Amino acid sequence: MAKSRGFDIRHQRGFTPIALLCFVLLYMPIIILVVYSFNAGQSIAIWEGFSLRWYQAAWENEQVQDATIRSLVVAGAASFIATSAAVLAALATTRTPPYRGSTFVFAMINQPLMVPEIVTAVALLIFFAMIKVATGYTGLWYLILAHSAFCIPFAYMPIRARLQGMDLSLEQAGADLYGTPWRVFRKITLPQLWPGVLAGAMLAFVISLDDVVITEFVKSAGQDTLPTYMLGQLRRVITPEVNAISTVLLAISVILVMAFFVLSRSKK
Amino acid sequence: MIEVTNVTKTFGSGADAFTALKEVSVTIRQNEFFTLLGPSGCGKTTLLRTIAGFIDPTSGSLSLEGRDILGDPPYLRPVNTVFQNYALFPHMTVAQNVGFGLEMLDKPRSEVQATVREMLELVKMTQLADRQTSEISGGQQQRVALARALAPKPKVLLLDEPLSALDFKLRKEMQIELKRLQSETGITFVFVTHDQEEALTMSDRIAVMNEGRILQIGGPRDIYDHPAERFVADFIGDTNFVEGTIRAIDGEAAEVELPSGKTVASRRQEGGPQAGAVTIAVRPEHATLQAGEGLLSGTLSNIVYFGTDTHYHITLDDGHAFVIRRQNQPDARESYAVGDAVGVSFAPGVAQVLRD
Amino acid sequence: MAGRADTAAARRRWLLLTPALLVLIFAASGPLLIVVVYSFLTPGDYGGIEWMFSTDAWFNVVASRDFFDETVTWNDAHLSIFWRSVKLSLMTTLACFIFGLPTAYFIATRPKGQRDFWMLLIIIPFWTNLLIRTFAVMEIIRNEGVVNTFLINMGVIQEPIQMLFTDFAIMVGMTYVYLPLMVLPIYASLERLDFSLVEASYDLYARRWRVLRRVILPLAKPGMIAGSILVFVPSLGAYVTPRVLGGGKNLMLGNLIELQFGQGRNWPLGAALSITLLAIVMVALLIYVRQAEREGSHG
Repeated sequence: MAKSRGFDIRHQRGFTPIALLCFVLLYMPIIILVVYSFNAGQSIAIWEGFSLRWYQAAWENEQVQDATIRSLVVAGAASFIATSAAVLAALATTRTPPYRGSTFVFAMINQPLMVPEIVTAVALLIFFAMIKVATGYTGLWYLILAHSAFCIPFAYMPIRARLQGMDLSLEQAGADLYGTPWRVFRKITLPQLWPGVLAGAMLAFVISLDDVVITEFVKSAGQDTLPTYMLGQLRRVITPEVNAISTVLLAISVILVMAFFVLSRSKK
Repeated sequence: MIEVTNVTKTFGSGADAFTALKEVSVTIRQNEFFTLLGPSGCGKTTLLRTIAGFIDPTSGSLSLEGRDILGDPPYLRPVNTVFQNYALFPHMTVAQNVGFGLEMLDKPRSEVQATVREMLELVKMTQLADRQTSEISGGQQQRVALARALAPKPKVLLLDEPLSALDFKLRKEMQIELKRLQSETGITFVFVTHDQEEALTMSDRIAVMNEGRILQIGGPRDIYDHPAERFVADFIGDTNFVEGTIRAIDGEAAEVELPSGKTVASRRQEGGPQAGAVTIAVRPEHATLQAGEGLLSGTLSNIVYFGTDTHYHITLDDGHAFVIRRQNQPDARESYAVGDAVGVSFAPGVAQVLRD
Repeated sequence: MAGRADTAAARRRWLLLTPALLVLIFAASGPLLIVVVYSFLTPGDYGGIEWMFSTDAWFNVVASRDFFDETVTWNDAHLSIFWRSVKLSLMTTLACFIFGLPTAYFIATRPKGQRDFWMLLIIIPFWTNLLIRTFAVMEIIRNEGVVNTFLINMGVIQEPIQMLFTDFAIMVGMTYVYLPLMVLPIYASLERLDFSLVEASYDLYARRWRVLRRVILPLAKPGMIAGSILVFVPSLGAYVTPRVLGGGKNLMLGNLIELQFGQGRNWPLGAALSITLLAIVMVALLIYVRQAEREGSHG
């Protein structure tokens, strides 16, 4: 019998290969997608040389321009509304003794995480259809409100986490020195809370930017965002132009998520 | 029974390398309560984990009952451990914990149950057999850990500072309990501790370790009365160190000349120094105080009353400090005062010549 | 005194909560109630509804009545979609578990300083666009995709294997997309695992497999249950992945619901199906919460 040199209690047979395979499988499709966005040819499987032509094509495509602007407007507005509402909600629900209705508030805030997206999408379709008939308004606010709602829990989480980790004595000292609640909030709480707020806003922005299902159901005619535009394209012959758009979206998400990671780790 | 031969263990490599065991050799006998004693970081736990099979030595050999067990994984070694934090399985009851080892050895159910009952009785935990391990006290967890490790009837039981988490009173109780368990089961115990008192009260033999080496192996009395090295003398109990010069040796006897010019019959260890300047060690309770001249002379600098005994702090003529401990007698009056000129004496053979 | 301070604090609290609650009621919870109402109405001729009470929608979820002779039979079309959704979701959960457990274990056994890095590798795909990740899978498994091209060039196969637009594709896609949801909670419970317990089991004669089965897995159970539910729930309601990767006939519940809201379709039925899906999800989440509470009270 060969001597087993060194007994590793953490070792489990096959676990490390599966884990490494898992990481490879997780990244391979994304990497291939990014690589073919630079393909000179029409194909998304046969490499014909490096080129930026599909980025140019996407850049000059009016529908893409249109959808990009709409995506950014909706994500910007929705993350602003969601983050503002989440800051207030976090202030109300963090560091307080147990109160009546806390379960209701918890359920309400987290509801978008629990209810399947397709159900929310259908509900919004029905509800907004009624309002559209009643008011005749078919603008972008339906999308912005719908996005705001499902972004709230994502904005709320990091803000609440930040608030929980904050030093209460500073605020008490501020109030002690005759600060009005608003001034204490602005001069003491908010500066400390800021990384959490920023992190929440970024998360909300990413979530809004990535949404497909609810947008697909809520949007009026001609209101494609980038993801719903792509969803429509997937039914046709796909050129690397879709890869190029995807790569840009991916890059935005990755940068924001990394920034979120750094922010939520930053020391108080 | 357990033969550890020239075992060296180096962790890491290059500049970060740290050698936890340096050429350690020791023989642990059958049915012995053997203690590895030393300060934290001395390598005692590394040695214990090497025997258990969790650490693979860099070099050297290890055998149990004459069989080389170095290549065996922990689950093939007939050795069980009582872990420092007990490591009881939180998702099992007390009885399930105790039966775990036997179950893993695929013993029949009836045998497992019988042994579990026997073990719980041995550690007086029968009442709590069906409790969750989180529902019992620290002392009780300690007993369960013991029962669990004893249940498979290992050839050797390894105990890694098992009493360090207990409070003082419980620790005293468990010391007696451990000794009883050892003599009742007849299993060899290898006990790791940094507490010299624990080592002295329980052990048949003690190995004193420091910086990865075993400095001295012997019975508690032997280690206490005849420390071979300065570290051993210092680590176990209190000691006075006096500089001297060997004038003559004869086996274990040595004539040592003291700074005062007088000579005293001392003991030396085999392989110890044979000539020249040496340090000798004298326990405070082995020296006597007298008015006037002794082997050494000096001035009383402090008298500290401790109830059971009194400590006399003396500044010797050469400036070194010396402490004498004297048992108090009922209604005795203190006959010395600070500032008195006093002499220090000790019987022939009391002073130990130390290796450096 | 105390009472007045309490009511003032309560008023302030609800005032601060108002904006969030308003948005959520207007664009999330409120509309759900309307869906419930719709499920009890009569479908309109050209989509939409007529304000007339009816339980037909609920009846039609699982059964159908023959147009001519009024005999009642099981609605096979719906039942098979229900079954396919549950089956694919369970298989997805299982696949995520098979890949997720070793991955979480691998990360949890890295040196402390490296764990964040590996976790970041898991989290990044999770926060990137679901549609894009599905699209990435599509590109790989299509007939002209990398996998088939590779296999043909290697001479393993002559004709491309049809993977896209099959149930298999849906399962692969959902596994790919939801895997992080399995890894995260299992990692959380493994990271807290006291490895001296593992050491103790080896010391007590347990071999690798038994240590895994008797000690590691039971102690990671809360994370495994959480992960399974976190994967199962979105799989059951999946819409984008089956739409992109599944064929025209390979529908899941989410797509069946969508179908009911086209022109001239049955809105009340769609509403009833939505509520059914929601109910299943709520039951799963309830089990999860129960489990979490039980674990919480133990430790």
